[in-house]
Amino acid sequence: MALELHVWGPAFGLPSVDAHCLAAIAYLQHAVPRGKWRLIASSNPALSPTNELPALRHGKDWIGGFRNIFHYLAQCSAGEWVLDAGLSEQAAADCIAFSSFVESHGQPLLDLSLYVSTQNYTAITRPVYNTIQSFPLPYLTPPTIRAAAKERTAYLGLSSLDIDSDDSVPKDDKSIIPESLRKPRATVSNVLASTPETAARIRLDALATNFFEPLQLLRGKKRFFVSNDQFTSLDCLALGFLSLMLLPELLQPWLAKTMTSKFPDLCAFVEKNKSACFGEVELQDAFANEAAEKRTNERDLLPWQAPARGSPLTVGNAFFTSMADNIPIIGQLRRNDRMRQFSNKSADETTAWRRLTMVGSIVGAVGLFIGFMFHQGFITLPPTHEEEEKRRGLDDFGEAGAALAALASHMDSEANFQRMQEQRMRDPIVEVDVEVDPLKA
Amino acid sequence: MPAAVDAPEETLLTSAATSFSQQSTKVKDLFSIPPPLKKLFDKVPVLVYSPNPLPQRTPKSARIPSLYVFSTAKDAAAGRPSFNPTCLKWQVSLDGCGIGRGEETDAQLQTFLNIAGVDHRLISSNNHASPTGVLPFLLPTVHASASFQDSILPIPSNKLVKFATEHGAKVQESPSMRYEAYQSLLDHRIRNAWLYNLYLERENFDAVAYKLYVLPTSTNPFVRASISYDLRIAAEAELLKHAPIIDIDDLYSEADKAFEALSVLLGKDTWFFGGEKPALFDASVFAYTQLLLDESLGWKEEKLCRALRRRDNLVQHRQRLLVKYFGG
Repeated sequence: MALELHVWGPAFGLPSVDAHCLAAIAYLQHAVPRGKWRLIASSNPALSPTNELPALRHGKDWIGGFRNIFHYLAQCSAGEWVLDAGLSEQAAADCIAFSSFVESHGQPLLDLSLYVSTQNYTAITRPVYNTIQSFPLPYLTPPTIRAAAKERTAYLGLSSLDIDSDDSVPKDDKSIIPESLRKPRATVSNVLASTPETAARIRLDALATNFFEPLQLLRGKKRFFVSNDQFTSLDCLALGFLSLMLLPELLQPWLAKTMTSKFPDLCAFVEKNKSACFGEVELQDAFANEAAEKRTNERDLLPWQAPARGSPLTVGNAFFTSMADNIPIIGQLRRNDRMRQFSNKSADETTAWRRLTMVGSIVGAVGLFIGFMFHQGFITLPPTHEEEEKRRGLDDFGEAGAALAALASHMDSEANFQRMQEQRMRDPIVEVDVEVDPLKA
Repeated sequence: MPAAVDAPEETLLTSAATSFSQQSTKVKDLFSIPPPLKKLFDKVPVLVYSPNPLPQRTPKSARIPSLYVFSTAKDAAAGRPSFNPTCLKWQVSLDGCGIGRGEETDAQLQTFLNIAGVDHRLISSNNHASPTGVLPFLLPTVHASASFQDSILPIPSNKLVKFATEHGAKVQESPSMRYEAYQSLLDHRIRNAWLYNLYLERENFDAVAYKLYVLPTSTNPFVRASISYDLRIAAEAELLKHAPIIDIDDLYSEADKAFEALSVLLGKDTWFFGGEKPALFDASVFAYTQLLLDESLGWKEEKLCRALRRRDNLVQHRQRLLVKYFGG
């Protein structure tokens, strides 16, 4: 059974747009003999149990994530397909430590350069997904990836690179000089601030240098990073990250610029190993059908296999899945579900109990809240009671009530009398004496 | 006749001045108070009260800087290790690891340095007390000579090294190219496993984190439930930032490999990177090893602790630091 490596599709002349996918491709290229594995640019993370690419398919087993893949390869080949075997103790330790370093420090740089920076993202990165995914998906995937990238880099305080969601209102100028007469002042900071990338240039440079420097020092004059003759898993990772930093032609190429100007050794490493590992990758290589495969096989280093052409049903399914993941509460629930399935912890008694107590506490809280609303008078019951009370009037007060009622009736009668008098005043009866003089008549 | 020549210019100037002043008074008039109101206001003088004194229980400005950490009041008074890795790291550092004693030239400096070595106060606190929302932070001493703003501003943990250098302490910067890489092991691989181990491993959360972080904050069961829920969700969100899913086996196996790498790095040396005395990196490692090896915390799920116990030299490294700064 041939292994199938599913990855994000090719871009920038590289076989994948994702650094971990590139690392996995490089690993399989070096570790697994040709013909035993195929490379499929399926670009659908839902295939993998961990919901990430790269994912390796071996018969019915799916393994997701770069580290899991190389652990699995070591297992299923009984220790044959391992790149890190036979390293000295110190080299193995370096390999572990620098792998962590490359992932933790390289990922934010790639995030900033490819996804957070608005210019690069809209002009270069987003269009890439149009070429590697089928129709409705490119509307959903890149924004999701970008949101994750922004979240990962939030701690660096460089969100100014993203000018799409810049909500700072242009400052109201208090000057009394009208707009048309003002001269733009060419201060140094004005010149520098023409794009957010140049404004943040110093920070970005420092970040990039902090990443490249230890790597360059580690490699020194060796052929690979930890050893002179052995291509290790660290080299795979470094190749994946460094090539994505160097090769894409971006509108804001600060990362590539820093790398070429200060660290030519690393650039040389990327150029050399990239052509050795991946060769020249064209977009159609990945999606070539059976007929064209012969032709590509001859000049291509990678065992591409065209991804299964998705029927409208599968594409629609993928579309709605990723849409559901983006809806706030439902997406969270789905993620939790996935996690539970993955961690293999079935809903045992404790979780059932916990759910029960949770439901109970929610009911209690809602009850309390409604009670509070009543207490505060935000809600009132229909006023049947009150009307009844009104009808009963002063009878409720006992003897005092009776006295009051007498008083009230007295007042009532007085009022009535008054009213009658007023009535009388208003249309007074005019008494007319009519004298009839019978004599005259 | 200079006066005659000057005269027209002068008039010009004065007329210009008056027209300008007229204009400016016009503008001023728009914003000035109408006279009747002004009269009224004049009759009501503005009285500025002197600032209220601080409440009685406010800590008096101490003669020594105070480090605010996650701890219990009793432990803080006894100077015992904090139960939060970041706090513990800085606690150890201030205890004299990275911040050695520099040239003691003036009296003020000397006070501080005595403190940086041994004598800072530990104060049990929580992150609501911190201006940045994170513990630890250091509240420096108030010097009579220093201006008000300078002396009173608290120092967050990422500025502690700078603060110490400014006050004359010598901070050893390890020149090794491996420093950053192995630091990333601690900051990512081991920290992620630690987060899972403490917050998301149900048994450990109930046995350890609940007691340390939740119980002291409130006695109300609803508040407690909500706080523990928040803590767990925050830990989960932190882990999900870097991976689409929390892969438990991967977390633990990566932490195991990280301990292996650290153990190789330490080798047979007494301190990391062959230093003669402990430095910041030793403190960072100790922050995790101490807490994982501390029997009194009562871990229930001990996967991570077992991974650490297999590395003998790391266990001994922890022991050395414990003896040196906490008296065993």
